[in-house]
Order: sequence, then C-alpha cells, then structure tokens
Amino acid sequence: MNPKEEKVKIITEEFIENDKDAGVGRQKKTPKVARQKRKKRLPTTGPEEMVPENLHFNQQGPVPEDSDTRPLSMTSRRGPRSLPPIPSASRTGFAEFSMRERMREKLQAARSKAESTLLQEIPTPRPRRLQSPSEKEMETEFGTEADEEVQRTQKEDDSQSYSRVKFCDSVRKIKPKPVVPPGFPSAEEAYNFFTFNFDPEPEESEEKPKAKNRDGMNQEEEEGEEEEPPVQEHKMDEEELLSAKDDEDFLLGLDHAAEDFVVVRPADYESVHVRLQMEKELLFVPSRLTVPTYKKLPENVQPRFLEDEGLYAGARPEVPRACQNIMENRLLTQEPGRKWFGDDGKILALPNPTKGFPSRPPVLTREQDIKAELETLYKKAVKYVHRSQHMIGSGDPSGNFQLDIDISGLIFTHHPCFSREHVLAAKLAQLYDQYLARHQRNKAKFLTDKLQALRNAVQTELNPAKPHKSLDTTQKAINEYKSEIRQTRKLRDAEQEKDRTLLKTIIKVWKEMKSLREFQRFTNTPLKLVLRKEKVDQKTDEEAYEAEIQAEISELLEELMEEYERKMEGYRASYQQWKAWKKAQRAKKKKKKQAVEEHPDEEMEEPYPGEEPVKPVPPEPTDRALVEQQVRERAAWSRRRPGEPTLVPELSLAGSVTPNEQCPRAEVLRREDVKRRSIYLKVIFNDKEVSRTDSRPLGADFRVHFGQIFNLQIFNWPESLTLQVYETIGHSGTTLLAEVFLPIPETTIVTGRAPIEEVEFSSNQHVTLDHEGVGSGVPFSFEADGSNQLILMTSGKVSNGVAWAIGENGIPLIPPLSQQNIGFRSALKRADAISSIGTSGLTDLKKLAKWAAESKLDPNDPNNAPLMQLISVATSGESYVPDFFRLEQLQQEFNFVSDEELNRSKRFRLLCLRSQEVPEFRNYKQIPAYDREIMEKVFQDYEKRLRDRNVIETKDHIDTHRAIVAKYLQQVRESVINRFLIAKHHFLLSDLIVEEEVPNISILGLSLFKLAEQKRPLRPRRKGRKKVTAQNLSDGDIKVLVNIIRAYDIPVRKPTASKFQQPSRSSRTFSEKRAASPTTHSPTHSTDYPLGQVLVRPFVEVSFQRTICHTTTAEGPNPSWNEELELPFRAPNGDYSTTSLQSVRDDVFINIFDEVLNDVLEDDRERGRGIHTHIERHWLGSVKIPFSTIYFQAKIDGTFKIDIPPVLLGYSKERNLIIERSFDSVRSLSEGSYITLFITIEPQLVPGESVREKFDSQEDEKLLQATAKFQTECALKFPHRQCLTTVTDISGKTVFVTRYLKPLNPPRELLDACPNSPQAMEELLDYFLFKQELVARYVSLIPFLPDTVSFAGICDMWSTSDQFLDLLAGDEEEHAVLLCNYFLSLGKKAWLMMGSAIPEGPTAYVLTREQSHYLIWNPCTGHFYGQFDTFCPLKSVGCLIGPDNIWFNIQRYDSPLRINFDVTKPKLWKSFFSRSLPYPGLSSVQPEELIYQRTDKAAAAELQDRIEKILKEKIMDWRPRHLTRWNRYCTSALRHFLPVLERNQGEDIEDDHRAELLKQLGDYRFSGFPLHMPYSELKPLIEAVYSTGVHNIDVPNVEFALAVYIHPYPKNVLSVWIYVASLIRNR
Amino acid sequence: MAAAGPSVFLLMVNGQVESAQFPEYDDLYCKYCFVYGQDWAPTALPLASVSRADGGAGAEEGPRTVTRTEERRQHGDKARPWGWRQALAFPGLEEGISQITSKSQDVRRALVWNFPIDVTFKSTNPYGWPQIVLSVYGPDVFGNDVVRGYGAVHVPFSPGRHKRTVPMFVPESTSKLQKFTSWFMGRRPEYTDPKVVAQGEGREVTRVRSQGFVTLLFNVVTKDMRKLGYDTGPPDTQGASGPSPQQGLPP
Repeated sequence: MNPKEEKVKIITEEFIENDKDAGVGRQKKTPKVARQKRKKRLPTTGPEEMVPENLHFNQQGPVPEDSDTRPLSMTSRRGPRSLPPIPSASRTGFAEFSMRERMREKLQAARSKAESTLLQEIPTPRPRRLQSPSEKEMETEFGTEADEEVQRTQKEDDSQSYSRVKFCDSVRKIKPKPVVPPGFPSAEEAYNFFTFNFDPEPEESEEKPKAKNRDGMNQEEEEGEEEEPPVQEHKMDEEELLSAKDDEDFLLGLDHAAEDFVVVRPADYESVHVRLQMEKELLFVPSRLTVPTYKKLPENVQPRFLEDEGLYAGARPEVPRACQNIMENRLLTQEPGRKWFGDDGKILALPNPTKGFPSRPPVLTREQDIKAELETLYKKAVKYVHRSQHMIGSGDPSGNFQLDIDISGLIFTHHPCFSREHVLAAKLAQLYDQYLARHQRNKAKFLTDKLQALRNAVQTELNPAKPHKSLDTTQKAINEYKSEIRQTRKLRDAEQEKDRTLLKTIIKVWKEMKSLREFQRFTNTPLKLVLRKEKVDQKTDEEAYEAEIQAEISELLEELMEEYERKMEGYRASYQQWKAWKKAQRAKKKKKKQAVEEHPDEEMEEPYPGEEPVKPVPPEPTDRALVEQQVRERAAWSRRRPGEPTLVPELSLAGSVTPNEQCPRAEVLRREDVKRRSIYLKVIFNDKEVSRTDSRPLGADFRVHFGQIFNLQIFNWPESLTLQVYETIGHSGTTLLAEVFLPIPETTIVTGRAPIEEVEFSSNQHVTLDHEGVGSGVPFSFEADGSNQLILMTSGKVSNGVAWAIGENGIPLIPPLSQQNIGFRSALKRADAISSIGTSGLTDLKKLAKWAAESKLDPNDPNNAPLMQLISVATSGESYVPDFFRLEQLQQEFNFVSDEELNRSKRFRLLCLRSQEVPEFRNYKQIPAYDREIMEKVFQDYEKRLRDRNVIETKDHIDTHRAIVAKYLQQVRESVINRFLIAKHHFLLSDLIVEEEVPNISILGLSLFKLAEQKRPLRPRRKGRKKVTAQNLSDGDIKVLVNIIRAYDIPVRKPTASKFQQPSRSSRTFSEKRAASPTTHSPTHSTDYPLGQVLVRPFVEVSFQRTICHTTTAEGPNPSWNEELELPFRAPNGDYSTTSLQSVRDDVFINIFDEVLNDVLEDDRERGRGIHTHIERHWLGSVKIPFSTIYFQAKIDGTFKIDIPPVLLGYSKERNLIIERSFDSVRSLSEGSYITLFITIEPQLVPGESVREKFDSQEDEKLLQATAKFQTECALKFPHRQCLTTVTDISGKTVFVTRYLKPLNPPRELLDACPNSPQAMEELLDYFLFKQELVARYVSLIPFLPDTVSFAGICDMWSTSDQFLDLLAGDEEEHAVLLCNYFLSLGKKAWLMMGSAIPEGPTAYVLTREQSHYLIWNPCTGHFYGQFDTFCPLKSVGCLIGPDNIWFNIQRYDSPLRINFDVTKPKLWKSFFSRSLPYPGLSSVQPEELIYQRTDKAAAAELQDRIEKILKEKIMDWRPRHLTRWNRYCTSALRHFLPVLERNQGEDIEDDHRAELLKQLGDYRFSGFPLHMPYSELKPLIEAVYSTGVHNIDVPNVEFALAVYIHPYPKNVLSVWIYVASLIRNR
Repeated sequence: MAAAGPSVFLLMVNGQVESAQFPEYDDLYCKYCFVYGQDWAPTALPLASVSRADGGAGAEEGPRTVTRTEERRQHGDKARPWGWRQALAFPGLEEGISQITSKSQDVRRALVWNFPIDVTFKSTNPYGWPQIVLSVYGPDVFGNDVVRGYGAVHVPFSPGRHKRTVPMFVPESTSKLQKFTSWFMGRRPEYTDPKVVAQGEGREVTRVRSQGFVTLLFNVVTKDMRKLGYDTGPPDTQGASGPSPQQGLPP
C-alpha cells in the first residue's frame, strides 16, 4: 500500500468518526491516531511538511485540544481544500486588540500545559492502534454519502496539520528535556522571548529569521481557537522559503530515536486534469447565458409587466446582466420552485436603495488646489422676514417663489373718446366675437345630429326584426326616446333661432354703421363686414328640409294623438260619470214626482243640492293640416329656407380710415384727444404696488400693447393680485380708470403653459367731452333727434397671463400650499395631494374619492400616497372635526390625571398646595410617597383656615373688637405676604451676582493706603463674627447671651424708722410706727442708714422662653455684676428658617430683684446658736426686650431704663433722698433706674434681608425721581444715617412720607379730663406739657407690634393714624406719627425724628420744640427726654420729617446731644423741598379728623373680671406643689387702689398707698406691686406676671392678692393695671 | 410581615470629580455641593433603619443577609451588589472642596482632581432630583483667588456608571470699566450663591461667559425606585417588566 494512500485513508476514517460521533472518547482518540499515523508518515515527510511542525512548536498544549473541540461548522465554512485558506476579515482587528495580553496568557498557559503533558505522557506510553476495529467499521461507510464528501476533504487539511503538530510535540517530548535543540526555544525561552528584551547572542544568529517567523505565528495565535489551522497553512506558504533550511537543519539534528517515526515522501500532486475533473464533480458553475423567460414562469403563463398595466413599480437596482443571469441559473438549478421570480419573470427585487448622490463629502486631494476649494463664495443675504408669519413649522423647502405676470395688452370696449362709429364698431366686434364663438361650438348642428340619432334609435326599436326583447322594455325605451326627442327638438329650435337672430343683428349693426359712415362722411374704424354666401344644393337641401318638416310633423302628430287619446280617455270617464248622474237625476225626479204626490211638503228639497255636472265636450281630433302649418311657420322663422344660401359674416380690418384732414373739426379734436392719452398698468400684489408697466399711448383703435412680463419674487401665497389701469391725459394728472382683479393661478399653471386670458374691466367714470367723443357714463344717441338714448361706461379687456415660474431645476417656484391653507382661509382650499397629481379644483372629498376610484389611480405609487391617504380618511369618515373651540388645545395632552383624581389624591393635593406656596405647606418636607401615609390632619389646619376666613373667632380674644382687629390684621398680612411672594421671584442682578462697585477716588486711595498698612497693627480692630445661615441649625444651637454689666439708681429699701428720710415731696407723715415692716428683720437693716450700710441687694434674673438665669447678688443701689448669662433659644416648631425666626414674638425679660433675707427663727432663744433665714426676693423692676430686636440688631449694647412699678412698697429712690430737687427740670425728667446690658445671639444669625420696596406708586414721577436722588445723595454723604422719603402704605403702595403728617385731634375726653385747675393755669408751660404727656400716654397705651412680626419680616409698612387706631397695633413709626399729629394739633412744633435708639435700632421718635429747648418723645413708652439727657435712648438722628418737608442731618455728629435742631439752617439740615424744588402741596393720606368711639365700660369691666380670673388660675397653675390662698380682703383693697394709680398715672401716691395698706393689713408682711401695661392680648399679661416671680414664694403660710383694673380710653384703648402681692401673716 | 413596600427610595451616588479642561488657567480647585428638592434629604442611614426601609421582611433577615453577602463575596459571587452596606457604613458628604491641582505636563493639559463624591439621598418624590453644583476657583495674575467657573448637572438617574462633562461659566461684569476694576482688584463678579446655577429663576438678569469643562464620574445605585413605581433603567432591559402600577398611583 502506498503510504500516501494509507494516510489519506486513515485521516478520512478519523474524520468520519468525528462527524458521526462527537462523543466522549474522541478527545483521547485523536492524539493517538495522530501519533500512530505519524509513525508511518515520518519517514516520507518532505521538507515542506516539516515547516508547520516548527510553527506549532510553541503551542503544543492547546492546539491538539483545539482540533478536537472545534465545532464542525467552522471547518465546513472554509473553501475548497486545494485553495489556500483565506484569512478571515476580522483577523487583523482581532489581532490588534489586546494582542499582548492574550499572548502572555497564551504563553503562560502553554508553558504550564507543556510541562504537565510531558509529565503525563512520558511515564505512560499508550497502547497504540486501540481503535482500529471501529475504524474499520467506519471504512465501510466511506463514500456513501455524497454530501459529506466535501466536508471530509476539507477536514483532511485540518487533521493533517494537527497531526503534524502532534508529531513535533511528541518529538520534543521524547527528547530528554534539558537537551534543547539548537535554534529551538523551550517553553521558558519562548516565554522569555516574548516578555523580555533579548540581547542578541552570537549563536542565535540563525534564530532571527525564526523569531520573525514566530512573530507572525504569534499573531495567528490570537485566533488560535477558531482559525488557527488555515492561517498557519497560509503562513507556511509564505514563510516556507525562509524557514525551510532551518527546519531541515533541525530535523537532521534531531535525536536518532525519533528517526523511525519520520517518513519522507514526495509532495502531493494532482494533475490539473484530475483536479478539474474533481472540481467539476464537486462544484456547480452556473451558466452565464440568459435564461429564457418560460423557465422562470409557471407553465402557460405569459409574463406580466406591472408597469405596463399602469401600476407603479420602483426602479430596480442595477445589476450587471451577467450576474443576473448567473443568479437566475443558480436559483433555477438549486431550487426548482419559482418563488424567487416575480410575475414578470425577473428576480424579485426591492426598489433601488442607493442614493443618487454621494453622502460623503468629496475628499480633498492633495493634487487639487486647496485655494480653489476654500475659496469664499459671496452670496447675497437672503431675507426671510415674512416666512415665519404664515408658516407653522412646515418643512417645506425654503426659498423664493416667483409669479410671472405677463401683461400683453389692453383693449377698450368702450372709451370716452369713442366716436359713434367706434361704439358701433365695438358692438359689431362684440357680436362678431359672439358669432364666432357660437359658430365654433355649433350647438345647433350638434343638436340636430342628436335628434337624428334619436330618431334612428326609435326606428330600430320599433323594428320588429328584433322580437326577442320584451315588449315592455321596448315600449319603455321608445317612450323615453320620444320624450328626449321632444326636448332636443325644442333646444335645437331655440339654438337655431338664436343663430339666426345673431346673424340678423350683425347685419343690422353693420348697416347702421354703413349709414353712419355715410352720414358723417368719414370713417374712423377699419372694420369691414363681408357676408359670404355659400351656395347650397337646392334639391337636397329642400329634400332635407322637407324630410325634417315631415318628421317633425309626424312626431307632433303622434304627440297630439297621444294627447288626444288621453283627453278622450278623460272625456269618456267624465261622460260616464255625467251619464250616471243624469240617470240618477232622472230617477230622482221620478221619485220626486211620486213623492210630491204623496208628500207635497217634501217639495222643498227639490232644488239641486250641488252643481249640475256639465256635459263633457269631446276633444277635437288633431288636424294634421293645422299642425303642418304650425311647423312650417316655425321653421320659416327660425330656419334657413331651403335653397337659401348660407350667410357667413366675415369681419375684417381692411377698411381705410379717413385721414385727419378730411375730417370735420370735431372729429379731428377727438383724434387729437385720443393721441394725448396714454395708459399704464400698475401691478398690485397683496395691496402693494410691486411694479408698473410702461406708459403707452392709446392707439386710434383703442388698443394698447404692453407685452411686458413681470417676475414677482414672493415668499408667501399671494392674497390678491390686482392690475390698476391708469390713464394719463397729456401732462395733467393720471386717473385711475379701473381695477382688474386677476385670479391667482392654480399650482399647475406654470410659465409656458399659461394661456393668455382676457379679463374684463369697467369703470364708473363719468366723462363728457366737447368733441366727437361720446363720453362715458353720459347719454348719447345715434339719432339726429336725440331719441333712443344710450349710456355707455368705460370698459375694456386686459389680456394677461399669470403663471408660476419654473426654477432652474424644473421645479415650479410655488409657495407651499400649507401656507395657503393656514394663512388664508379665504383662498380656495386646496389639498396638496390633489394639485400634485395635476388635478385641481376638487374640493369635495367624496367626489375626489369617486374620481380616484374611476381614474384607477395606482395606490402603490408613492407619488399618490398623500392622495390615497386623504381619500382613505375622507371615505372612512375618520377626519374628525371637533365642534368646540379650545384655547390651549394641548393642555389635555399634558394632563396626566384628571382634575378630580388630582384632588382626590392626598399626595397630589399636598404637592399642589406646596407648589402654590400656601403658608401651611410652604416648607413641607418629604411628602410621603403614598396616600396612605399622609395623615388627614395635615389638611385640617388649612381647611379650617379657609373655613374661618370670614368667621370671627372670639375664643382666643377676650374682647370682640380685638378679635375683629386680629382677623383683619391676618387678612392684610396674607395679602401682603402674597404680594411679597410674587415680588420675591423678581430678581435683580445684585440678587444673583456679587460684584464690586467701581471704586471712586477715595476708596482707591484708601485701598492704596491699605497696602502700606502694617500687617499686624498694634491696635487690632475687631472683626465681625461669622454669620450663620439659619437653616442648618437645630434646637440648642442658638443661645442668647446676656451680659449684665451694672445698674444705676436701684431703689433702695426704705428705712421706715428714720424720720429724716421722709421725702420732702411728701406732705404726709407717718403717725404709726411700722413695727411689722419687712425690712425690720432684714439683717442689713440698720438705723444708721447713710453710713454705707447695704441698702439693697439686687440681682438680675433673665427669663426667656421660660428659661431663667440669674446673676449673683450684688450690693448697693449702683451694683456692678459683669456677668454673662446664657439662655438657649428654641425656634417655634424647630423651624430655623429666616421667616420663622423673624416672627418669634418672645421677649427677653430682665428682672431686677432685691434679695431679702428673712430671719425665720421662731424662737428667740435659739438666736445665739443658729441662723435660720428665709430668702425672699422682691421684684424691683424689669426691662423687656423683644427677641426680634435682638435678632435684627444682632447685638444690643447700652443702658436701659428699668421699668419700675409706680408703687414699690418699701423702696425708694436713693437720689431722692440725697439729692434734692436742685436739678433743672430737664435733668429731673430722667430720673429712674438704669441698667447697662449687652445682649447678643450666639452664633450670629443672618437677619432676613428686607424685601426691596419697589412698588407701584401714585406719586408724581418727578417726585419719585427727586426722592431717589435725594436718598442717593444722602447715602453718599452719610451712609449710616437713616434717610426716609417714601414709605409703603398698608396696601403696598409707595407714599411720600410727609403725607402722613397732619394735625389730628386727640380724643376729646382726654383733654377734658385734664384738670383745668386754677393752679395749673398759672403755669401755662406746665399745662401744655401735661397735655402732651397725657396724649403721649394715650399713644403709648396702644399696643406695640413690630411689622416684622406681623408681616413676617418682610418690610416696614406705615398705616395711617386711623388705620392704626383701628388695628390697635403698630410699631414705632405708627406711634410716632400719631403722636406727632396730636402734637401738631395741640399747636406744637413737632417733627418725626428718624434715627436709631436703644434697644429698638432704627426707629422713629418725635421731637417737639418748647420755648427754649427741644424734647424728645419716645412714642412707644410715652416718656420724654430733654435734648441733653444722657439717658435718652435715642442715640443718633438721621432725619427730621415735618408735615411739609424732610430735613436730612448733615451735621458732623448725629447724637442728639451734639446736634442743633434748628432746621432752618441749610448748613446743618439738608431739606428735601428747597427753592429749586418747591413744596408742591401734597395732600395728606390721613383722614380729616379722627373719630373716637367711647369704649364700652361694661365690656371693659367684664374683661377686667375675666383677666383677673385667668391670672389667678395661672398663678395657681404655676404653683403646682403649693396651696395658693387668696386674700380677699387685700385683693379688694388693691382693687380699690388701682383706679387711683391710673388717675395719677402712677406718680406721687406711694406714701398714701402705703399708709392705707398698712392701715388695712396691719399684721401682714406685704410685698407686691402694680404692673401697668397696654392691653393687646392676654398672653403678654401672663408673661409679665410670671416674670415678676411673685408666685415663687414658697413660704407655707403665704397668701396672695391679685387685682386687675382696666381703664378704658376712647377707641378701645385699654390701660391694664395688675396688682400682684404676696402676704405673709406676721405672728 | 404584611407590611407594605418602602416609603422612600434611596439614591446612592459615588464617583469623583475627575478632571477639568480650563485652557487658560492653572492651579485650580473645585467645590461641589448638591441642590435638591424639598422631598429629598441626604442620608447616612444606620443599618437598622435601612432594613426597615427595606420592608418588614428585611428587618429580621438583616444580619443573615449580611453574612450571606460576605460569603458570596468570598466566593466571587458578583450577583448581588454589596454597595449598600458600604454606603451605610460611611456617612455621605454633601459638599466638598478639593485640593489644588496643576495642569498635567502632557499635551492634554488636563487638571486632574479625582476628588471623590459620595453621598446618599433618600426621597419620596423624584421632583427636585439632586443636582451637583460645581464651582472652580483659582488664582489670578495677582494671586487672588477668583472664581473660574460654575456649573451644574443632574445626578444621573439610571443606575450604573455615568460620565458627565459639565460646561463651566462665570458671570460677566456689567461694564467694561467694571471688568477692568474687577480684574485689577481681583474681585470678579460671583454668584451670591453657587446654587443659583442649578435653578432657572433669576438667571435672565445675568450674562455669563464660558470657561471650560469639568468631567465628573458618577456611579449611581438606586434602591426601591421601582418599588415606588419609578422606572429609570435603560428602556430595553427594564421597560417590559415594569412594576405594577398600583404602587405608584392611588388605588
């Protein structure tokens, strides 16, 4: 056996096996087979085959496995075996991608695998030829299946290469491992090769080509799993030459043990012939010849070409004929079915998908001149202004559109300059035109023919030759024909008659004209009518005529006969009737006769009841002769007589016009007039003149030739197109003769196709001329006597053509029809689809659909697609026309749920409310994801508020008036807040961007100076604290720090024992000794009081939000504590937002107490041994500072007057004792106690910025400008001084501030109440002052409510005084305005003083001018200070506001102590209104006068009782662990005492009071004091009582007394007095 | 155990402010902060509360789940993301300020910060989806720190890894003179609050100039969004098997 043959056999066997059985054992088998095969092959293996062995050397491990697991489909994919395999297209890409990584992996894997296989294989040589029996079995099947053969041959290659691989694999293995063949790398070496950089060693010089070889190979390794074998073979071919020599060397150098495996044999060769033979067997080459059509179609079927049938068939892609043939042949052979072929015998194909133009821009080639490519083309700017107006997003190609208007000429059918002859000529021309038109249509002839045809039809119908038709239908048809014949005949007769009349008229006019020409002896018109006679054959004509007449007669007769029959019919019927009646009548008569005989009285009925039927007259039979006569008459009238020649009129212009010189003068004038006239036309497009024709003279024949074409470049579908005819006479003006409205052409009419149309026009111009011209609109006559008058108007025809232009590429330049449809409803509605197929004017869709069905449109043609769609919509009735109108038609689309659902869902509702910024939900965080997680109570407050909006709640407020006020305030507040919420969304640049201002010179200088400044100054300046935004704070983060520094003039305990200490003021003396005075037991008590003994032991307690801190106890009336107290701050609801903080209404109470030690030792005997004292504290006074003040001021630093109750039992002012009233009156005004405090918040909070007060105003614009200017000027000079010119009133409008100031009357009762005592009169000044004090007190009794609280810190609003009194709440400026107005009405010089004070910050005070000095009034407390009072809380003055002017302080200092209040000095005060801007006399916003209602005393009394009750309950509540006893006796005494206090305003009654109390409560130790407050609400009262700490006494036998007194002032201003006291019974 | 589904969904964002392209400037640093709606809250949930959010069943299984997750991690099971635990262990950072970076020396001239972002939000409502607001600062010629750019971008809402390039801009001066003085004084116009750039309101009064780009990398993990009826995943994989609508809408 030839070794080669055997090898082939074995290989095939193996692969059959592989094919058949992809089982388990295969993996083992293959290597073995290979090895066994190798044994035989080796000796004959030539050098050619050795190469691949080399190649595979590095991948011993994986390759055999690959060969096994390789899916069959992979191999079958490859080409025929004889060809070198083509590398797959993805190869390079794949190889490039992560080549290195994969290589390394591979190498590692290879190394480990090689080692392991070596270890496995060497010790266990396998038995060979293990599977030979199965192979034998396989052999039997060899060649049975033709299909497999191809595959098998292909696989042969694989297996060959694999087996070779395996071979060299084992070759290497068999060799002792350390002996590496020269030139062959071991696995390690290979690894190193790829991972390290080699320095080429001398002995490896021969390895280099191999390395190259291996490089290439490694590339192939990437696709080792899939494509390796073919690629390697391929490689092999390439590199054969390179490596063959090396390989041979290597083989020779192999160990001899391997030699018996090697089989050397010659290269395989198959002769070309054999190969071709084999290929022929295997391959099928389709022929290139054209396939006859019959093969491609089913039998007996003719090819059908859709295109020929009119169906649309897209263009087929271009395929070379040969390819197509090959394909067809292949398909026919491969799949005998004809499913690949269409009806036309061609391969089915989709339309050509290729684009007609390249989508890739042309590549710039180097050779080309780049400049040429980059050359800039200048294109004129195109204006697209109008396009957007009428176009709504249509994607139509933009561009200009063009309308060509061709105006060829103009003919007047009448003109004022027409002579009579012209008129006739025009008439004649018109008639002739008519004649020509009629002649062309020749309707008479048509009708005649029709008639003839009908007659023939009747004849044939009547022909009995066709009996098969049923008689019925025949009869019916005949009847129909007959009636039609009758109709046609009538029509024909009418037509013929018209023709004849026309002809006659023409002749008549021509005759008239001739006579006219003769009459006037000249001719004006070249018209000439020639009547041409056409001879007719007399005989035939007569025959035809006669036949016609006969036919007509017979028809008529027939008709008449029918008529007669019908009539006869009727006659007979009626005759019968008549007869019957007659009979009956007769019978009746007979009867009657009998009856008369029998009953003569029945005679009465005898007269005929009804009309006696007339005896019918039988119709006369038709008389043939008569009919004939009629017919002939008519024929004679309307028809040409037989034999008469046909007259054909011919109008020519051959006549000559008489030259001017032969004409009479009038005619010459007329002709000259005509010559003077010229005509031009204006083209009006969309009511705009776009162009005009040249002015052309009017010809003698009244024709004007223009011959001009206007190209209108347009953007839009035209609205109107008009020509205006203008006539110019000589050099005088032009007159508009007429307007000609041109129709806008259809979209199908394009230039070149447009017919010249004549559009008639006429003018209503009246012209009378003084020459031959007949004029226009005036009567004229042809007759000499002027009868038969005629009125003609100027009229004419313009011949023109309007068409759309065609662009360069043949596209008509027509505006898109969408414009037309959208923009112009008036224009005819046209559907795009319709015009696109060249049909237009179809508006009815149903008709269109019908037309489409009839015209058999091809529905497949894409050109027709829009039309088909339109039709389908129209016919299916899907075009839906809504019968309603909607403004936002898209809104519905965007609603994702219906409104009801939106309302029903709690979550949606919450989201909506939040987005509307409803106050309750504005800051709602984390709206739950589900409805069920939303509590119903979330909405409760909101709903309640909505409900209660109009309901006045009296529960919270004790008196109704204040409840109303609170409600009103709430509403004002809401509206204001809403307005501000809107205003908040308007941003200015400064809100968003921080930008340094352009520095002026001074700042620049300063900054330059700063550069030179020392970096570490010796005197460091305090830096501002860092401000904290409020939002990321929580409870406990904020603290209020109160530094209590010192106090002045604390009241001291009054030693009752010493007489000399009695105040000099007091007129009374104490008669009794006060044995039970509380001070008696005090350890500090001493009789020698002035000798530096402790007079008082004050300490300070600060309470804020019910947290209380106190200082240590100091001693003496001028104590110094210097202590810092720290109070935590809690924001309401834990909401630390700015708005929330602004509305905190809590106050900081700073209470000063005297610590009193009471010896409570019961038993005097123990006195020596122990001290048993009880500490009591006596409230001395308080300072109340609202938190909002601290918040806005950030810090409060200063000395405050302590609010000391008017009666402080057992205490007195030290100063009173030591310093007698030696001060001047001003100085004495400031008596009182003072405390120095420093309060701040830690950390410093950012106060809410005030909203820009930029509101609309009713002020004069000039004034507003002036205010702005004034303010900027002021701010430039003194940026920190308050300058106020405009304020916001309660409705949110900007108002000039002086409008608030106006004298207003204080309540009458107030002034009446003041004693007009005689001793008061003595000192007028004091009297006035007293009045002022009264008024100030009244004003101060109106509760204070800062705007920041009421309006959530949004802005400062000024209410007018009446509003203020109605609201009974306001802040400083309202108090100040009211006070100032009262002072003004009292005749004082008073000003509103804007400045800053302690603790209020920027505030408003009132300044009044007394004789010699100025007084500063605090409107909120009612106190007044002298200008030079050091304890005056007002610290700086910004501006003064009077009723008619504003003065800004431009003095160097702003402290009231150091400034001059003389506003007349312009150096000191800058006035707003000056000579340059005089006061315009602004009207006041205040009311004319204030009306005060008396307050209901009973209500006040009731309120008083209720307050007392509530306070008592509160005190009991505050003492939960102790019994609270009320001393009624004391209470009544106190209650009795309070009105006195009110009357005296808490002055000068202390001693009286004390005495009285002592009298009444002899054996009680008493400590208490009256509190005085304005009444606003209950809560402040409670707080005030609480802060005094009266309830804190826990002595067991303590008793309490509490009395409330409310003094009503007019207008519901209530002054509340609360007397709290604790009593301890002395034993 | 019949407890209803979760009431909040969580959005965990980590990633980094990777780099920036500011062709003209060098030595820049950046700040970031988040702007989010009222229904959002940054959260650093303890494990327990998350398990509660997980639903009733999760509360009991919490610890066991953890151990199993640990095991899986050891076995290389990557099926279950374990990022949640990580997110819960470390509280998120709502704002940050990066180091100063200099331009790279290669041709790219990139400014690389690689500054981490790590924050977790919880929310009941996607409205007001978090936006990250970036502001970049750097020294000018005189060494003053001036702003070099503001920018904002929404946190991506589909889970996964996202890269975003944010164009940066600065407000312009109102006039030429202002421009000069601000340049001279080193006080360029700035936004009162960088968060302004995350909203539209009031922007009409400003003019800005573009400056450069910042590249951000986000790794977004969401939790319970689909349970709440919000499907943010890529349309092809999740669209078909969306959640039952009854969860999102009222019954």
